[in-house]
Amino acid sequence: MHVVLLRLALGLYSFGFAHSVLTALKKKQTFFQPAVFAGFILHVASIALRALDVRYLPLTQQYEAFSFFGALTTLGFLIAYAKYRIAPLSVFAFPLIFIMTFVANLFYDPSASIPPVLRSNWIYIHTPLVFFGYAALFIAFAAAIMYLIQERALKSKHPIRFHNWLPSLEICDDLAYKSLAIGFPLITLGIVTGALWAQAVWGVWARDAKVLFSFLTWFVYMMLIFYRLIAGWRGRKAAYLSIVGFIGVLVTFLGANYFGGLHTFQ
Amino acid sequence: MQLALVGLSHKTAPVEIRERLAFSNDALRSALASLVDRRAVNEAMILSTCNRVEVVAESPDDRLIRDFICEFHQISHDSVSTHLYSYRNVEAIRHVFRVTASLDSMVIGEPQILGQVKEAFRIAMDAGTVGMHLSALMNRAFAVAKKVRSETGISQSAVSVSYAAVELARKIFGDLSGKTVMIIGASKMGELAAKHLRRAGASSVLVTNRTFERAVELAKVFEGAAVPFEHFTDHMTGADIVITSTGAPHFIIGRNLAEQVIHRRKNKPIFFIDIAVPRDIDPAVNQIDNAFLYDIDDLQQVIDANLKERFKEAMRAEQIVDDEVEAFCLKMQTRDVVPTIVQLRDSLEKVRRDEIERNRRHLKDLSPDQQAAVDQITKSIVNKILHPPIEQLKQMAHDPQGADLADLIRKIFNVKPQ
Repeated sequence: MHVVLLRLALGLYSFGFAHSVLTALKKKQTFFQPAVFAGFILHVASIALRALDVRYLPLTQQYEAFSFFGALTTLGFLIAYAKYRIAPLSVFAFPLIFIMTFVANLFYDPSASIPPVLRSNWIYIHTPLVFFGYAALFIAFAAAIMYLIQERALKSKHPIRFHNWLPSLEICDDLAYKSLAIGFPLITLGIVTGALWAQAVWGVWARDAKVLFSFLTWFVYMMLIFYRLIAGWRGRKAAYLSIVGFIGVLVTFLGANYFGGLHTFQ
Repeated sequence: MQLALVGLSHKTAPVEIRERLAFSNDALRSALASLVDRRAVNEAMILSTCNRVEVVAESPDDRLIRDFICEFHQISHDSVSTHLYSYRNVEAIRHVFRVTASLDSMVIGEPQILGQVKEAFRIAMDAGTVGMHLSALMNRAFAVAKKVRSETGISQSAVSVSYAAVELARKIFGDLSGKTVMIIGASKMGELAAKHLRRAGASSVLVTNRTFERAVELAKVFEGAAVPFEHFTDHMTGADIVITSTGAPHFIIGRNLAEQVIHRRKNKPIFFIDIAVPRDIDPAVNQIDNAFLYDIDDLQQVIDANLKERFKEAMRAEQIVDDEVEAFCLKMQTRDVVPTIVQLRDSLEKVRRDEIERNRRHLKDLSPDQQAAVDQITKSIVNKILHPPIEQLKQMAHDPQGADLADLIRKIFNVKPQ
């Protein structure tokens, strides 16, 4: 049942995906909102059903992780959209949401076996914190890209390059900052709980590629927070650093599998 | 419905002629009254702006309107005939739609014309010279204007320096509320730009000028504060948008100063608008992070691009107008024809029933079957008689001459409008 819901959600997200393509092609339309909202509800229902099935947090398998992240990114988009009413955010959000959910469908594995190493109550704290943090940092990343595109156009003074579909610089920067302010504490706590978990189970925690990358990523975001607060960075420089940080997130989330270690999906 | 339109615009007449033929607001009422007094003018409306005069009437003859315009303004036919244009029926409808949708304006897509047409319509309504036809036409014209506005980008982008400034400020700041505008120097153009920014939501205005009195004067206009010219750099820290238009022969804001100000503002962005010639702000300021500098040429470049965009959008708008004209004509003609058919049927049916009623007593000896047969026979006679004219009317429903045929048939059968 939860797979059917997941597929339906994917189908509805395709409206969001179509919206993002059309927006980029400067075509106006508004049909995507109800579709995406309905897709999100189904998606959450799918995850909840899976949770009831396995009687555990459905985050131990690769497809579950993708599905979970997809749902959170949608949530992030919906919150940002409700606050700022910026449809162009979809241009960046939906390709990711769509791909995540698509991959989740692709890797679907009905087995409900949970690796013993993950049987711990820490999973309920550590993983959601990290995932929520990633979703917020993704929104910050998308806002940073929008900022840079708009800023370049304004500085170049070539009216042909002006992007009427993009929000104003101030809104982009504000969105980037607020998402960072939400995402950074979440990943910080995520790392702390991860460390505690590892400490409790193995006594060591640093010999894992994912841990290493997440530290590096955390450090980039730490710098960004520092520069924003102390040096008054905003706009372009902050946007660049935010992009570097999110590349770190991607490497951590997707790449760590290839380096081996405890976070690898079996 | 028979429409006639006579008018002149910036395209056909120089300003001397336009002002000579303009109708002042006070004159409009009497002009409208004297127009509908004429035989064959049933409804009328007059639009008179600085760029155009248009007289629209429900009337079969546009020469009547030409005569009226010349008489009213006491001017000879010969001196204005080359400047006046006349349209009838479909062409008149198209012209009204195009004017209202701002496709015939000097600056295509400018929004004022719609308000002016609405006002002209209101005045004619008040004067009681608008009937069913003109109100159908004008209401459709307003709807078309709205459609053109929302479905094309014809009025979207800025085509004046001050609107271009507002448009750019919105790209940087989004909402302008809470933003401070600083005016350095007191030129007309700077004042206009500040006025538009203020109207777009900017909260406060700072004014500085070499002559402090002039700054105080201008500050009063914007309910802002005047700042001594010697200290303007200190106050710039609080300004989000800086408009310069001094007569200074050299840069008054250099890169260093701008950098300091941005630093003091903790990198909050500043939008510099330099509309002075020679320029007041070093172009290198644009290279500073969070500083955006547009000089008069840059703004002009934006305007030119927007104008090009408007022309492109205007082509799409013309297509919308074409479709709407066609739809409106169809509706009007069917409107003339359909009621005629209905009334024709009703009136002949009444004749039949009255005759049967009158001869009731001759028929009372007939059996019910025979009575029913009489009823049936008379009905079918009426239908047979009506068949050719109704078929003709139906065929002509989509033809411009349909209305004339409807009139003729009404006369022949003596059908009165209900």
